[in-house]
Amino acid sequence: MQDTSENEKTTTGATACLPIKNEHMDNLFIAASPSSPEVDFRFDERRLSLKGESYPENAAQFWGDIITALRRFLTEDTDSAAVTVNVALAYFNSSSTKMLFSLFGALNDKAKAGTGTGTEIVLNWYHDEDDDTIFEFGQELMEDFPDLVFNDHAVKS
Amino acid sequence: MSGMNNIQKQWDDFHSYVERRDVIFYYVGYFSQTIIAAMADAVKLRVEHAGAVAQTRRKLFSSFIEMAQNIVHYSADSYEKEGNSEASMRHGAVFISLTDDRYYLHCANPVNADVAEKLREKLEHLRSLTIDEIKLEYKETLRAETPADSKGAGLGFLTMARDASAPLEFELSPATADDNGNGTSMFYLRATI
Repeated sequence: MQDTSENEKTTTGATACLPIKNEHMDNLFIAASPSSPEVDFRFDERRLSLKGESYPENAAQFWGDIITALRRFLTEDTDSAAVTVNVALAYFNSSSTKMLFSLFGALNDKAKAGTGTGTEIVLNWYHDEDDDTIFEFGQELMEDFPDLVFNDHAVKS
Repeated sequence: MSGMNNIQKQWDDFHSYVERRDVIFYYVGYFSQTIIAAMADAVKLRVEHAGAVAQTRRKLFSSFIEMAQNIVHYSADSYEKEGNSEASMRHGAVFISLTDDRYYLHCANPVNADVAEKLREKLEHLRSLTIDEIKLEYKETLRAETPADSKGAGLGFLTMARDASAPLEFELSPATADDNGNGTSMFYLRATI
């Protein structure tokens, strides 16, 4: 409890488990674990990235906290510059799939709200070139969230 | 010397059974998130070594995780460490066999009577669907509200059904009543990849 960010965390109450400040948005970094991806949300650079595998014990909680931080950024953000989202997830389990859908839904809402004012959200969707499952999930996202600029990237294995 | 021969004999018996049943991976015991993550590594290596192509490896891995996490979430046999209710540890078993280039993923765990009925309903329904209907239902469930009693967003069995090359097979043993009169069945599931 010596460091100040720890104290600020506790004052935010509901979001105590994430390093979020009241005044301005801190970046969010969560290191990869054997069953959860690296989360590197550099809100200040408007660059968000997800990398690795996702099958945490409680996907609703893991992704729920991340979505809360993301929504807060999207709500507070007034800059009109584009936001780039890089997603390179090699595997996600069924409960993570559901949560990812909500995450991209939140981004799409922001892109939609920004129509005319110029907030562009670019989603770079990386997958192994022969991974049909992840490719197809990207196609689902593209269909459901048309306000995102979706770029499919097939990576050679 | 006779002691050593005896140890070797036990191994030979065990190995010949494993080989006869085409078993390439087997685990029985408690399942926790840490154990699953370690096994996931072992399964990846094992199926790679067995020569499965990338797409098959991914499907096997996916179904393995869904099965193992089902055990952590739904097995009726839980391990409670004293003073620690945080980590879920539930008893179950998984094995993977490889016969004529087809992989079979099996899992087994005890379930309470109410869970057993839901599993039966869900799996009988899935078994009645074509692969296109499974994909459609997957898409619908992805966009629907999560059922309150589900930890896997209702997508777990749909994911396994989607990845399998044949309908999911299951059996439930007749319920045995415990001391409190609550029935428990063994739930067996097999996915063909």
